[in-house]
Amino acid sequence: MNKELEHKFISEFQEHQKIIHKVCRIYTNNQEAHNDLFQEITIQLWKAYPKFRGDSKLSTWMYRIGLNTAITLYRKSKRTIKTQDFDTVLHRIKSTDYDNTEEEQLKLMYKAIHQLSDIDKGLIFLYLEDKNYKEISETLGISEVNARVKMNRIKTRLKTILNP
Amino acid sequence: MDELDLLKKDWKKQDASYPELSYNEIYKLIHKKSSSIVKWIFIICIVELLFWSGLNLLVPEKYLEIYDKFNLRTFLYVTQVIHYSIVFIFIYLFYKNYKAISVTETTNLLMQKIIKTRKTVNYYVYYNIALYVLLSVIVNFIMFSNPETMIEALNPNNKINVSGAKFLNIMLIAQIIALVVIIGLLWIYYRIIYGILLKRLNRNYKELETLEF
Repeated sequence: MNKELEHKFISEFQEHQKIIHKVCRIYTNNQEAHNDLFQEITIQLWKAYPKFRGDSKLSTWMYRIGLNTAITLYRKSKRTIKTQDFDTVLHRIKSTDYDNTEEEQLKLMYKAIHQLSDIDKGLIFLYLEDKNYKEISETLGISEVNARVKMNRIKTRLKTILNP
Repeated sequence: MDELDLLKKDWKKQDASYPELSYNEIYKLIHKKSSSIVKWIFIICIVELLFWSGLNLLVPEKYLEIYDKFNLRTFLYVTQVIHYSIVFIFIYLFYKNYKAISVTETTNLLMQKIIKTRKTVNYYVYYNIALYVLLSVIVNFIMFSNPETMIEALNPNNKINVSGAKFLNIMLIAQIIALVVIIGLLWIYYRIIYGILLKRLNRNYKELETLEF
């Protein structure tokens, strides 16, 4: 592949790389696994890039490939299967931003998200990214109605975890 | 505040905390090798296609001489020609399905296409097993119908000192054991392939499918 294309890809990717970090954040729970998935998604994006026509937004295209890689293509290596303490993932949240109960709630919610199925993780991820049901259904390849039904189920599930 | 709003708020807040990879770091990443399941499936499928189509070539010419005695050579030759044409069709279908896999499809379609590609090769293996079983049944039937010729061909001058009837029994039992062992090994192999490689994919695909019906 030519250098010019490579340069263009890296520059554009650099600008939008947060999307991929966020996908990894939902699907992995330790740094090593995060990096591993990040690498695989980046490779998949680069492989698909020559065919990217620009008829959709680059970010939309990245969401799709990111999720497809996380749900379908990615093979968890042995070392990433081991479970990790979820608390470590939340170290960034400063206690001044939230009171104790809120912090506790968030911790529980992230923990619950990590226990969801791959598909449900994808749905909640797109919800957190403010995607509408049309986009969600187009990314996952399910009908809008089903996306809505499934999302409501996940929301209820998360809420019951917090208010048993 | 609603719990989910709280989560959303926190999610947005985290935006600032993700690491920013430099140009060079990204450059290095895109030159690494993918370890996606599509790649693994591709490799395994190619190995299987080669293995089954190459199996015939592993049989030494000397062993084929026995078929001359039963006038089976032409029969086997014709089956081979048909067999390799079918192999060719399978390879074409596999290639076509493999090429259709695109990471930019919807998740549902992507999974469908991967499963379709894998299935092509599964059918190929089933076809091979069926063919081998069928051929052994035919060949055995012909051979056992001419027991004298068979004993003479397989145990010339009674090298292994057994009676004709006993020899035929041993032959039959040995073949049945071999068949059971081969099928057992195949079964274990496929449990491993599906267990390791495709369990997650199948589970996710089923989840989307049950949603749509």
